[in-house]
Parts: sequence; C-alpha cells; structure tokens
Amino acid sequence: MRPVVAMAGILLALGLASVGSAAEREAWAHVPMPPGFKVVPTELEGPVFADSHGKTLYKWPIASLRNGYAGDPKDKSACEDKVTTKTGGYMSPYPPGLDLPDLDKRKSCVAEWAPVLASDKAKPIGDWTVITRDDGTKQWAYDHHALYTSYLDHSPGDVLGGTQAYRSGGDTPAERVPVGPPPDVPPGFVVETTVRGRMLLTEKKRSVYLSDNDGPNKSHCDGDPCAQMWEPVVAPAAARPQGEWTIIKRSGGVQQWVFRKKPLYTYTRDQLDASLDGSEEPGWHNVYTQRAPTPPKPFSIQPTINGDVLADANGLTVYFYTCGDDSADQLSCDTLDSPQQYRLAICGGGEAGRCERLWRYVPAAAGAKGDNHVWTVVTVDPQTGHAAEARQPGALRVWAYRGRPVYTYAGDKQPGDYTGHALGEWQGRRNGFRAFWIRSELFSRS
Amino acid sequence: MRNLANRAHGLTLCAALAVTGLGSSSLLKADEIHTSLQDRGHTIGYVTTDLHWSVYQTPDLKADCPDGLNGNGPRETFKALFPQGGSVVNTELAREGLKVFPTDKPAQFPYIMAAGPTAIGLNLDGKVGPNDFVSPSGEQGINNALFRVIGCNAQYRAPDGQLQLFANKLIRGFNFDRIMIELTHVDSLVNDDDVEVTLYRGRDPLLLDATGEKVAPGGTQRIDVHYGKKLIQHLHGRIADGVLTTDPIDGEWPWAIYFDTPAVLHIRDMRLSLKLSPSSADGLIAGYTDVDSYYHWLTSWSTHHLAYGRLDPSEFYWALRKAADAYPDNNGAMTAISSAITVNMVQVFIEHPAGSSAEPLQRTADAAH
Repeated sequence: MRPVVAMAGILLALGLASVGSAAEREAWAHVPMPPGFKVVPTELEGPVFADSHGKTLYKWPIASLRNGYAGDPKDKSACEDKVTTKTGGYMSPYPPGLDLPDLDKRKSCVAEWAPVLASDKAKPIGDWTVITRDDGTKQWAYDHHALYTSYLDHSPGDVLGGTQAYRSGGDTPAERVPVGPPPDVPPGFVVETTVRGRMLLTEKKRSVYLSDNDGPNKSHCDGDPCAQMWEPVVAPAAARPQGEWTIIKRSGGVQQWVFRKKPLYTYTRDQLDASLDGSEEPGWHNVYTQRAPTPPKPFSIQPTINGDVLADANGLTVYFYTCGDDSADQLSCDTLDSPQQYRLAICGGGEAGRCERLWRYVPAAAGAKGDNHVWTVVTVDPQTGHAAEARQPGALRVWAYRGRPVYTYAGDKQPGDYTGHALGEWQGRRNGFRAFWIRSELFSRS
Repeated sequence: MRNLANRAHGLTLCAALAVTGLGSSSLLKADEIHTSLQDRGHTIGYVTTDLHWSVYQTPDLKADCPDGLNGNGPRETFKALFPQGGSVVNTELAREGLKVFPTDKPAQFPYIMAAGPTAIGLNLDGKVGPNDFVSPSGEQGINNALFRVIGCNAQYRAPDGQLQLFANKLIRGFNFDRIMIELTHVDSLVNDDDVEVTLYRGRDPLLLDATGEKVAPGGTQRIDVHYGKKLIQHLHGRIADGVLTTDPIDGEWPWAIYFDTPAVLHIRDMRLSLKLSPSSADGLIAGYTDVDSYYHWLTSWSTHHLAYGRLDPSEFYWALRKAADAYPDNNGAMTAISSAITVNMVQVFIEHPAGSSAEPLQRTADAAH
C-alpha cells in the first residue's frame, strides 16, 4: 500500500495549515431580528439563525425535480401535519403511488420539521415576515422562506438537518438548508460552504488567495514574476474598511482589499470556479472565513485521479450515505432512525449480510469521541443499521459525519480507488453512496 | 526514427503545425511537415475533443438491426413486472438494487443484439474468426463484440442517442476527461516506423473557435502531474501512410459521463489507430474493455437517463456478459469484451512542468509533485 498522507500534511497541501487560527469564526452582518431569535456560530455552516433554545433554523426552498416541484413556494409552507403514505414520482422513471416503507412508524413532515410558529402579535422586521399556514397558525419566514427546526438537532450548534456543503442541483432531493445572516464581507465577495470550510470567493466565483510572504497589511508581491501570477483584489475608490477588512494602497495608487491583515489576490492561472490550484504554489493559500473541523485522528487524506478524498487509517476511501425519499415531504432516509430499506437496497441488494461485508463502518477506537458537532462517535447495530444501546451485543462504535456513519467499501483494493462512489439512485445523490471528496474541482465550470 | 536533436525546451510545439492548425493544413506538404518536425523537436500533441462508442448503423436498420431497436427499458420492464404498483421496497428499490448487483441470469425480456457482418473496429487478435466482423472499408477479422450489445440500442445511435450526445459533450466540459497524446521521436506524420506515444491528462479548458462550438487546434494544455499522474501511459507505435498504429497496453481511459462521477474504463490490449494531420488525429481506441468497468461506466448514468434509450441496466448486463469474448476467469467466464471507441483530437501545445525536459514524463519519477 502506498503511504497515506497524514492530516497535517494534507492540510498544508490544501493551503489551510498556516493561515490564521483554527478557532477563527466568520463574522456576520447584524441584521434586524424579531425578539426570541439569535445567531449561533456553527462549525460547518458558519453563523446560522436559531430559536430561543439555540436550535438551528432551516428553510425548504422549492426545487425543480424531474417530474415536478417539491418544497416551499415563497411565503408558503408545503410541510403538513399529515403522514404521507405514497411516493410522489418526482424522480423518474418510477411512477408515483408506491407504498412508502415503515408506515407504522412514519412521521409527518411537521413532526420532523417543526414550523417556527409566530404569535398573533408578531410583527415583521427586516427580512423576517409572518406567513399564515393552511391550518391558520402563523409561521416565521426569512427572505420569504418559511422557517423550521429539525428533530435531528438537539443542542445549539447542531446542524444535522441539512447542509450547503455538497448540494448539487436537481438530482438531489428538495433539501432543507440552514438559514443565517449574510457574512460580513464587502460587496464583490461571497462565502460558500465547503467540507474544508467557509471559502471566500469573488462574486464571480474566482478563488481568493493570500501569501505567507506578505507582511501584516503589506504586500510584497510587486515585481515579476509574482505580479504576473497574482492580481491584487482591487477595492473600489469608495470602499471603506469594515470589521476584519481593511484596504492598502499599492504602488500606482491601486487599492487592495486586506482580510485579517493579509492582502488578497486572485491567481491568473485559475481556470475553474472555486479553484484550489493557486494553493499549490508554495506559500500561497485559499482564504476561508472559518475552517471546518479537522477529521479526527484515524482519518487521512488520499490523492486519487479525481482529487483528494478522505480515507481511513489504511488509506482506503471513506464514503457517506445520503438519501431523501420520493414523497411529497422529501424526508431524509439516511439517518440512523429512518427506514433502512433504501440503504439496504443499494449496499446489499436488500441483503443485510452482503451490506455488512461490502460497506464497512469506520470503527472508533475505544475511548475515542468527537470534539465538535460535525464529527461524532455513534453506536450502531450493524444488523439493522439503526442506533444501538452502548452495551447491546454486537453493537459497533463508529465514526459519523453530521450524525451519519461513514464507510469504506470492500470493492476498493488500494488507496486511491473509489469504486463505491456514486453507487445508488441518481449517482448516489438521492439514495446511495458518495466518496467523501475533500478536493475535486475537475468537474468545475471554467 | 529517434532523433533527439533540437529538444531543448519543455513546451511541445511545432510552429508550422500551429500555422496549419489555424486554417491552412491542406497547404502543408509532407516534406514541409518533416522539416518542421525536425526543427521543433520531433514532437506533436493532440487533445481529445470527441468520443463515441463505435456503432455501424444503416438508416433503415435492415443491415444492422433487422429486428428493430430494443424496446424494454426501465419504464417498460417496470410496468410489465409491477402492473399494480406495490411497495417502494419491492418495486423501485428492488430494481435499483438489481442495477447495483446485476446477475448472470438470463434476461427476462427479449434483448436485440446487432446483426450483420459489418462493424467498426480493429482486428485485435490478428486472426479472422467466424464471429468477427468486416470493417466498412473491407478489412477482415474485426473484433467488436460490444457492437452486438449496443448496436440496437437507441442510446448509442447517431444522431440523437442520448448517451452518444451527452457522454461526448462532457468530454469538452470536464477537465477530468481531458486526455491528450504526445507523439515524440517523430520524423514524419506520413511515415515513421518508430514513435513514442504518451498519454497525459490536461488541466486546461479547450480552445474554442470564434463560434464557441468547435474546438480549434493550437491551444495550450498544461499536464496534470498531480492527480493525473496515474493516468500517464506509454505506447510504442509507427506511422504508415499517415496512420498511427500503436502496440497494445493494458490501459485506463477516464471518461466521466455525468457531473461528479469520475468513471474510468479499463481496456486490456488497448491500442490506438489514428489518421494524423498537422491539426487533427482521428480514429479508434480499441481493445478488450473490462466488463465490470464498462458496466460501472454505463451505470454512472441514472436509471432515469438510461430510460431515455430504453436501456434496462440489468438486462444490458446479461447481454454484456453473454457477448464478452476475452480474458476468461478461472471458471471460464469472459471478463472483457472487444470494443472500439471512435475518437477525434485536435493539435495542442503540451506544456511540460517547469524544469522538466521535453522527454515523456513517467507515471512516478518524472511526475513528482
């Protein structure tokens, strides 16, 4: 087997290791909020809105699926307090009207996604408005999206109900995503959630870089070849410093944006959106407003022909399973308490034994535990795929990402293989397995 | 012939070729090509612009598919198997599970194999056998058993087969698929009995012409020596009458046909047969494609997409296994199938990493990163 790259080495390779502190958190714009709500900094999604108990707020944006729409139209909730029993046929080629599994245990949309109710006296403020549900109750909305909390979240900082880290368009279910205030970045910048962290980009999706060679608030990238390869991110004449953002004046009078005392650049050889290519130049790094939690110790990073993938201690590719059902509710079926029939169909053709042989949970060492909300240790009954009691015979303590177990695949024979990637419905996006890519830009648009 | 003179720089280029690539290739005579190749390091590069599984087809189907096209796709088989619907577990998930775990059991529905004596491809085994085809130009002994499996499926047929269209379109769209060939030690694009061919993956978008639709020769590609290191492959070949023919290798050809789905074909005895010009290289990639890697490649399309061409994956798997004709396993079951891919390439300047020579890079030592 090839030697695996230790996590520290990979973080260096990804341009993450020497930039600021891992504890740095993204600042947000202070927007008006109704009483009883707050902003909670989270480790993967950045700042999110939360209710008075600290529970993350989500929206369910309407999504165009292959055979129709699911999710909330603007200023309306489609999430009902009624148990759905049939598939909706949103994802062809299968017809609607098939019986959903585990109907005796199935919950309604409202039971899993509690509407954030408003009192009759609630007043709109800023982008917060009040909508009327079909049953006459009032519900808070933000930017015209009805708001919910997730039954999966239990403590402040949990964002287990949805993520913006790897959604990819119309082949995924209509998913719930966390809602938060805008990041405190100047006009011309955006921040995107990635598995590596909250990535700073220009509004045109070009990557933003900083250099180890620059001093605090001082650019040393003036002459050739540096200035040929790295273009300063220009601050307009009317720009003013804000928060962690300042401006320096370069020779010739050009103003350059500075973030956390580091001058910002784009890389002239970048060809793809959100590229990491520039961080392959020694001393240069992509910029993140905050970094995602580092995977715990047994994990490593492995290069493949498609980029870097998370790997286990032996360098074998790590996968996660993702699933959303084809009901009008689009409920998730990838959690430990959801029906396991979806996963069993893909991991074993319906056979639990084959599933166990092919898809192996990544075991947690005795005493290991996660130190954040993203990477945790869960106890699983491998026979059922459901959560188990700690002392249950045969139960396994395994690593989980966002509350979902991660796996290796027996079809992979050596580091760099990813033969289990995209197995399942819709390349694994709707019901199946996806390799845990840390870096994979080869499908980015130029 | 090998001639290492004038090989000082790391950029694979040929100035005369660039000129011809921009519109005057028909004006360049063979001796001029010969001279310019000598001047510019005896090297030329090409980048892939189009890939299609080779299907010989006639307009009225009579010669290739006299029984018509396959009609039992996922929608049709589902309707036949589950006319009353049922539980999602016993219907949809059962079919999706079968897609992941196909069996060798006989097909449940009629499967139409391509017929007729003609197919596009190469004579891979050097023999003329009873199951071999004749090429459209009359060459005997053509091995392309895959044609029997795919030839009568609408997905694969021009001009509007969905797989033909989209699998090819993504060649241009994804850097994952950016495979290039670099010919070194070339004295002439017409006749040379000893040339080296190196496969690399490029890391840049293709150069489009002013229409934005057509790939223009004369672009520049950096070699992906990072993630593409394992894709560096070497072949030895010769050029006769303007056609490059390589010796076979066990090769890998990355061909992603959907977003974020980086599929790779494993092709035993892979060889190239390409008609060369200063601005293009067109021809075939042929060999024995590993059956499992082919099925994995195909099923990286969703069942929804496969339904466009009425291609039921589990039925297809049966046909693929039945037609496989090479590399038997210990039980005598064939694990690979003779096949051909029609490939189009345009000339490109291949930029070697700074500090490296213009000699072909190796998978490991030269491609350090």
